[in-house]
Amino acid sequence: MSHLQIFATLLLGGVAALDATPVAQTLLSQPLVTATLLGAVWGEWRVALEVGVVLQILAASTLPIGARTPEDYAVGGVVGAGVALAVVSRQHFLMVSDAAALTGVFAGLLAASFGVPVVKWQRRRNEGLSRWCEAEIRGGHESALGAAQRAGVVLAFAAGVGYCAVCLALGVWLLGPVAGHHSLRLARAWALAQPLWIGLGLAQLLQAFVRRRLTRAAAFGVAMLASWMLLMMSGR
Amino acid sequence: MGRLEGADLRRMTVRTLLLQATFNYERQQGLGWAWALQPALERLYPDAAERRERLAGHTAYFNTQPTLASLALGVVAGLEEQCAAGQGPDAGAMTRIKSVLGSSLAALGDRLFWFTLRPFAACLGVLVALGGSWLGAVVLWACYNFLHLGVRLLGVGWGYRLGSAVLGEAQRRRFERLTDRIAVLGAMLVGVTTAWLLAPAGAPQPPVFQVVIAAGLGLGLVVGARPRPSPTEWALGAGALCVVAAWLR
Repeated sequence: MSHLQIFATLLLGGVAALDATPVAQTLLSQPLVTATLLGAVWGEWRVALEVGVVLQILAASTLPIGARTPEDYAVGGVVGAGVALAVVSRQHFLMVSDAAALTGVFAGLLAASFGVPVVKWQRRRNEGLSRWCEAEIRGGHESALGAAQRAGVVLAFAAGVGYCAVCLALGVWLLGPVAGHHSLRLARAWALAQPLWIGLGLAQLLQAFVRRRLTRAAAFGVAMLASWMLLMMSGR
Repeated sequence: MGRLEGADLRRMTVRTLLLQATFNYERQQGLGWAWALQPALERLYPDAAERRERLAGHTAYFNTQPTLASLALGVVAGLEEQCAAGQGPDAGAMTRIKSVLGSSLAALGDRLFWFTLRPFAACLGVLVALGGSWLGAVVLWACYNFLHLGVRLLGVGWGYRLGSAVLGEAQRRRFERLTDRIAVLGAMLVGVTTAWLLAPAGAPQPPVFQVVIAAGLGLGLVVGARPRPSPTEWALGAGALCVVAAWLR
């Protein structure tokens, strides 16, 4: 675990926080993308992808509709993969990898859940910024609009980096030793939790697509059966 | 009185990327909207006092799906051009038009981008990543942004040219057809992903793995329709149960 790797992880936390709402919303902040980038930075693809896949499938249907503040899977994805990679960088055994993946997903889910108040806090700050900006424009300072936009971006980036740093430190400090000492039990738990989480996430995706339409449910069933038969035939 | 030029629309397009930079509960995208519209107002209103009044008015509440906001911006820039020529709607009518544009485009955009394309791109990326490839992230990003960035970068120009026809029956039907097709493909993609999880590359997973996936799928279908507890809370609870089960075994 080098300083450069930690710095890159925190930087990605800030970039993900920006992409999630304030800038462009290109899905660069999705857990699979950030976990893959972190896998490249830390030189450990397997664990990064395992954590990224589970968090991605759970995040896929968490949507920013209207004024709703959904769980912050942008920073959650970075924290999850970051904690798992930091834990596994200390011991490279298979059992530890699985235990690290489990602790990573837990850290990511908790960071995503507790990130909601941080996002709400930013939005409250932006309310004040909006009122100030309108008053400034009416007072003859049109440049206040650009200044307010810059302030919003800087605030989101700083909050992303700061929250990511706190969660990473807590995750590695609290969960790291547990993953090291109880790797066998946690690896067994991962064998159960991974398919359960993926199943939960797939159900959400299916509901997003089907929306009580029989033809779409049939398309799911036919595609699953046909793919399964093809896979079984190719396996032989 | 000035007319909008290509350079103004391009500046607006770039600024749409920061539409939600100061997103908040009171005005939502209002400030970002005014920031994106500023190049058009600078061209159309040489009188500083009048321009400031229009700009301040546009900082009021506005909200729509961010990708399709580009279309709304183009339409409103066209209306502002008419206003500057003394023909367009007054301030009250402009507010009502913005409100209708925002809610109508949100209804189309939420369904297309948030409820359908985003889960589709995620599922496609996950399917590729399940094979252990880093390309899953690239596939996810490219699949979503082909449409998202396309509409975002071309939307201001479309909105400006089409005007209120942007909400016409033909456009609406085109969006709905696209949404429907992606949703059918998405349902099939979830089927393919489930089959791959049960028997990756034709080698069936152990029965316990298959049963647990089916249990997760069933649980997700039962609890997913309820707002509380959220899917994330269910995932945390299910994960904690797995840890307890592994500890007690």
